[in-house]
Amino acid sequence: MKNLSLLRFLITAAVVIVAAVLGHALWKHYLYAPWTRDGRVRADVIRVAPDVSGLVDAVRVRDNQFVHRGDVLFVVDRARFRNAVAQAEANLAAAEAAARAAGANIDAARASAKARQAQYRMYAEQAERRQRMGDVISREARSDAAATASAARASWQQARAGGSQAHAAREQATAAMEQAQVALDRARLDLARTEVRAPVDGYVTNLIVRVGDYAATGNPLLALVDSHSFYVYGYFEETKLPHLHVGDPVDVRLMAGGVHLEGTITGIARGITDRDNPAGADLLADVNPTFNWVRLAQRVPVRVAIDTRGLPEGMVLAAGMTATIEVRPSGDRKPPHVVAAHDTP
Amino acid sequence: MPLEVDFHGVLMPGLLPVFLGCLLLMVLLDLVLGRRGLYRRVWHPSLVRLALFVCLFSAAGLVLVH
Repeated sequence: MKNLSLLRFLITAAVVIVAAVLGHALWKHYLYAPWTRDGRVRADVIRVAPDVSGLVDAVRVRDNQFVHRGDVLFVVDRARFRNAVAQAEANLAAAEAAARAAGANIDAARASAKARQAQYRMYAEQAERRQRMGDVISREARSDAAATASAARASWQQARAGGSQAHAAREQATAAMEQAQVALDRARLDLARTEVRAPVDGYVTNLIVRVGDYAATGNPLLALVDSHSFYVYGYFEETKLPHLHVGDPVDVRLMAGGVHLEGTITGIARGITDRDNPAGADLLADVNPTFNWVRLAQRVPVRVAIDTRGLPEGMVLAAGMTATIEVRPSGDRKPPHVVAAHDTP
Repeated sequence: MPLEVDFHGVLMPGLLPVFLGCLLLMVLLDLVLGRRGLYRRVWHPSLVRLALFVCLFSAAGLVLVH
């Protein structure tokens, strides 16, 4: 009887222990195997904004249309910018004329200075002659001659100063001409920028701009999805991170049609927001109360480059689609130093 | 094993059909073992039945995962 009850206990214990071991193994696999159902297809989105303000004159694209880099997307009313170019051209012409006039002034000032110089020499010689004659002519006439010579000298120097002034005026006029040239270039650039062009190949998305809308500088009017930039972000739980590495091959399966794509891990995010640390009132940390037993794993974004050549013909790939990501077992390698120890004989 | 199963547009974890299959298998096993009188030779019959099911499910899951 004793033996029988021991046997009954042993059978029970054996079955329970086997169940515990198997269950633990499956649980561990489920918790740590590097796969996730939270994958998102993403793409670079360019928010296209006009560089100049004005009324929208023409919209050259339809919603969801594919455009090539450099294609015109929409045009801002050009009349004002044509006028600005015309005005800048006129300003430039005026500045050029002013520069030529300044150049002529220099010649005039130079001639005037020469005339004054000749005059001064004449008066100076006259004064000297009269001084030498001594008492033959009156003292008044002599002092008058000396004063006239001094006055002529001052007048000559004034004319020379006028020459320097004319030089400076010409430099000023030249600088004004360059200014006018730059203003013209800028007006032409503004005119060119009235045609808003596609910065990349891509798809026009959520086109809400219409003819007659007012486009403000820097205010995005349409989104352009870069067609060469599709990638997948997998949000892996932190328990799975030790089993994936940059460069590992992954299988990506889209929710749409179960399409399989090849991929490679290109990067792992080095930071996510700490949800337990928003600043509350009085700038104190707003920490949530928590159950101590249940701890939720955070999810860290892992960037996966995908090979879009694997897409079937006509298959639409849209940013925001859901994907399942499985890191291949070959990528589940040992840390580098262990591998090195194995490799050395 | 597929990681998830598409059931009329609802994507479910791949272990769910395994779980259901094991449940069915367990009912059959239960019938057979009950008829053979095994449950009279164990300590706690319900504990053994639960453990048997865990064994079945985990083993099937592990085999299909690898």
